[in-house]
Amino acid sequence: MDTTAFRPASTPSGAPPGAPSTRSSELIAPAVAVRARALAKVYGTGEATVRALDGVDVDFAAGAFTAIMGPSGSGKSTLMHLLAGLDTASAGSAFLGGTEITTLDDGALTRLRRDRIGFVFQSFNLLPMFTAAQNITLPLELAGAPLDPAWFDTLVTTLGLRERLTHRPAELSGGQQQRVAIARALIAKPEVVFADEPTGNLDSRSGAEVLNFLRRSVRELGRTVIMVTHDPTAAAYADRAVLLADGRVAGDIADPTPASVLAALDALRVLEGPVAR
Amino acid sequence: MLRLTLAQMRRSIGRLTAAGIAIVISTAFVAATLIAGAVITRTSYDAVAASYADADLVVTARGFGPDGLTDADLGALRATSGVGAVDGRLLLSTEVVAGPKRAYPTVTAVASDPRLEVQTRVSGSFPTGPGDVAVPGPLAERLGVGLGDTLTASRSIWTPTVPAADDASTTDPTAADAGTWVESAEQLTVVGLLDDPAGAYAQSGGAVVIEAATAARWAADDTSGEPATYGSAVVALVDGVDVEAARSALEAAAPSGATIRTKDEQAASITAELTGGADVFTPIVLGFAAIALLVAALVIANTFQVLIAQRTRTLALLRCVGAGKRQLRQSVLIEAGLLGAAASALGLAVGVGLAQLTLSVLGSTSPGVPLPATVSMTPAVVLAPLVAGTLVTVLAALAPARAATRVAPLAALRPAGAPAVNQRRNRPRLVAASVLTIGGGALLVLAVISTRSIDTVIALGLGVLGGALSFLGVLVGSVFWVPRVVGAAGRLFAGTGTPATLAAANTVRNPRRTAATSTALLIGVTLVTMMSTGAASARSTLNNALDDQYPVDVMIGRDVAASTPDDAEGSLVTPTLVGTVAAVPGVGEVVALRHLGVRLGARGGDDDQAVYVGAVVLTADDAATVLRVPSMVAGLRDEAVIVAAGTATDLGIVDGDVVTVADTAVGADGLEVVVGSPIELNARVTDLPGGVAITPAALARMAVELPTNLAWVRLTDVSEAGSVVPDIEDALSETAVQISGAGVERAQYQRIIDTLLAVVVGLLAAAVVIALIGVANTLSLSVIERRRESATLRALGLTRRQLRGTLAIEGMLIAGVGAVLGAALGTLYGWAGAATVLGVIGDVRLQVPWRDLALVVLVALAAGLLASVVPGRSAARTSPVAALGVE
Repeated sequence: MDTTAFRPASTPSGAPPGAPSTRSSELIAPAVAVRARALAKVYGTGEATVRALDGVDVDFAAGAFTAIMGPSGSGKSTLMHLLAGLDTASAGSAFLGGTEITTLDDGALTRLRRDRIGFVFQSFNLLPMFTAAQNITLPLELAGAPLDPAWFDTLVTTLGLRERLTHRPAELSGGQQQRVAIARALIAKPEVVFADEPTGNLDSRSGAEVLNFLRRSVRELGRTVIMVTHDPTAAAYADRAVLLADGRVAGDIADPTPASVLAALDALRVLEGPVAR
Repeated sequence: MLRLTLAQMRRSIGRLTAAGIAIVISTAFVAATLIAGAVITRTSYDAVAASYADADLVVTARGFGPDGLTDADLGALRATSGVGAVDGRLLLSTEVVAGPKRAYPTVTAVASDPRLEVQTRVSGSFPTGPGDVAVPGPLAERLGVGLGDTLTASRSIWTPTVPAADDASTTDPTAADAGTWVESAEQLTVVGLLDDPAGAYAQSGGAVVIEAATAARWAADDTSGEPATYGSAVVALVDGVDVEAARSALEAAAPSGATIRTKDEQAASITAELTGGADVFTPIVLGFAAIALLVAALVIANTFQVLIAQRTRTLALLRCVGAGKRQLRQSVLIEAGLLGAAASALGLAVGVGLAQLTLSVLGSTSPGVPLPATVSMTPAVVLAPLVAGTLVTVLAALAPARAATRVAPLAALRPAGAPAVNQRRNRPRLVAASVLTIGGGALLVLAVISTRSIDTVIALGLGVLGGALSFLGVLVGSVFWVPRVVGAAGRLFAGTGTPATLAAANTVRNPRRTAATSTALLIGVTLVTMMSTGAASARSTLNNALDDQYPVDVMIGRDVAASTPDDAEGSLVTPTLVGTVAAVPGVGEVVALRHLGVRLGARGGDDDQAVYVGAVVLTADDAATVLRVPSMVAGLRDEAVIVAAGTATDLGIVDGDVVTVADTAVGADGLEVVVGSPIELNARVTDLPGGVAITPAALARMAVELPTNLAWVRLTDVSEAGSVVPDIEDALSETAVQISGAGVERAQYQRIIDTLLAVVVGLLAAAVVIALIGVANTLSLSVIERRRESATLRALGLTRRQLRGTLAIEGMLIAGVGAVLGAALGTLYGWAGAATVLGVIGDVRLQVPWRDLALVVLVALAAGLLASVVPGRSAARTSPVAALGVE
């Protein structure tokens, strides 16, 4: 197990929480957090075969906020499932740090998710019978790991949950629930956090708030976040946007803006147009 | 709408099946009970009908004895036109002896017409002469006799006058107006072996048949020489004679007050008399079936509640597109009706199949029992389970159907979330539950307290009413307190790891469902525990009462009825007999002693004040080893006589007084006279149940020579009496002894209590099984409801094993709490019942059957664990990807 995940001082970014920026060190030696090589996923057989993912090669840098973009059916969700060890690949390999996760069995994958990966879901997925605080510390409980009170404090302060810790999910707004979910994803200091359409169930103001928190957790807390979204505005909060179409990588935009993402998506549609006919 | 209902049923087929099994079990129970009742009624009817052979008509006299049919009456009947043959029905009982073996069968006379012969001939012939006898096959086998062998019919005939010089005679000392029992022994030759196919004489395993004149003579002997009369007579008509015409003719010829019925009418009338006009067995067992149905109703209500919760979105959508509330309610009720009807039909088939299987197995393993080969299907057997099962299912679905109508059309537009938990406190329900529990409890306490001062039946009625009301209150109120208990129990284990924490939190999420599931189990467990506790307390109380009443476990003495006068003075309790008894496993101590009648009087008192009592002669050491209550003979010395408190009161003496004790014998005039030399002894008044006790040295001073004539036995473990006493009886089967004492009583009531308990617990087991299906059902519903949560937990790093563990702990919590609460409640009810019923006997000893309680709780925990296996596997199959889905 990679014990570095529990010690902020030795995380790839090496910066203490609250440091203004870690981008300079990244430029010198951009460590790779997640890697895909010829990754493919095929559903069904014969005529019903669907190639959801068709040989994807992509690297995700540590300490960065990356968005995976693409229209519906582009394979972006499938890519995330495979990278996070939630689903098995048909071919190719995926790596988390130095670990090839495509060869692990269910038990090893469970431990990997528990100790090295964090998740933020579109529909929050908090346990209704637990309070916000209990939901946040749940991954540590599952791992039987000790709670770092300073880190918990940092997360609660950063995410503005101080007053909500004793509330149950039913007593929280959607934005608050998603902030609890982000804190839960970060509590075990995982190597990477996967966020699946984190703003999909939120109004635009709460969505912007959540995206800001995700960006701050990368820039100020030194975490690595990979977010799946179909919303160009959400993608613009990321350091980089990877575009998928028809199960392949179709573009890579550094420092995306809503305009550049929209333009790239439009370009994809133009490309698709004749093919569709 | 029907198409939609069916489509929804198809989608929920798995859950409906689980609920259906509960109905199948309880309706099978109802069907099997009704069939068993019908078989019992049918069998007793057949046996009664068979005892009238092929008689066309049966004439029943106004009464017995002087009101019976005389030989003259029978002659008048025979003379009636159209009548072929008439036989008076004669049933005697006589001891028959073959070598050392003896039996006490029913004896009847040979019929005058083959049509009136009840039993069939297997070999040989029916008796034709005075010394002939035909014996049923099984009896012949038991006595070890065959055709041509000899039997002795041994009878005691009471003769009020001076006895004629007969075989032997003894004098009965209790008779004031002199008379004698004349022992008669007649040699009979076995000329035929019989079979009793319809079980007409099932109680005695067939009847011994003798020649008619001999039977009439024996019957006359039984009535001290008066000519025998008959309670009824069977009539066979000449072929071709109209039965109704003959009936009219016979009515004219028969004495006044006689009734004339056909054989079938007679059998129906007698069967009704036998069962008191009502069947007792069926209602009792149906009561247990009702409990099973009640538990099934809880399981079904639970299932439908969750089905509705799951279909909230579909129901809201239907409301959006214009479905009315009525339509939704009807849809749910139709679904319940279809499920109930289908499950009840299956239950009926299972019940009939089980009954048929039982009949077939019994028919092939116990040929002696006359049973029908196939079950008879009556409309009641078919309709009652179908109606009861369907009705209970529909009734159980009423509340969920109402819940379905409350789904707002708007719910279709809201994002799907976990079904909202209804935390509403229902005040009327709380009030009703409290009133029922407290009121019922008060009635129960009243019944326990007043059981000695009022009629037991009234106290018992009060107790049953109070128990039922308070239990109803407990059940109605379970939704308020059961979840709290489960939550508290969960918190106890919460420290042991994440699965336990999750399980504990999950059990209190839906208090109503947890309460209903636990309660379903609680019902069965409470009733089983109540029976077990009641039985244990009854056993202990009766043991205690018997200890006081019979300080000796087993007494072996001379069997007055079966021994010849020669035995009277001989030593019966020989060292051989003592050795034989001592060798029986389970026998602790055997003491041979002497027993005699004595005259006890205060020193210097009048003769009139003396009392005649039984005295036992034994040493203090022997008494200490063999008696259960040694205080009864405390102070037994050579100069002392132990006097029972009752005897002392009769005599007007107190502890320490000097009394005279003298041996007595029955004189020629039938009065007791003093023999030997009276001695003076110090009276020690103790709690001896009756009579007096002296030492052998004292007996010697009275100059009485007496052989040992009584053996007292102490068993190593008195609770084993049920098996040891029959062993002693077997060991002494060739000796004419009488075996009595507390051990025998114990053996009898222990057998009764244990059999009753086994039957009742077996019947209640059906309710427990249904409740356990409910636990499994609730768990699988939880799994389905929490699919997304399970997936989230898996994504967060919960292993499959931990997920299964969570379900297992949840199942054990629900089942365990139901079982523990049920056991506690059942113990209380068992105590209350025992105190009410046994209060009249004496001090009630309340017992806790720890072994049974532990067993019940263990079974419940194991079942809770087992119930979680299948749901746990399906939960563990949930892919973590499901957490990401939007649904």
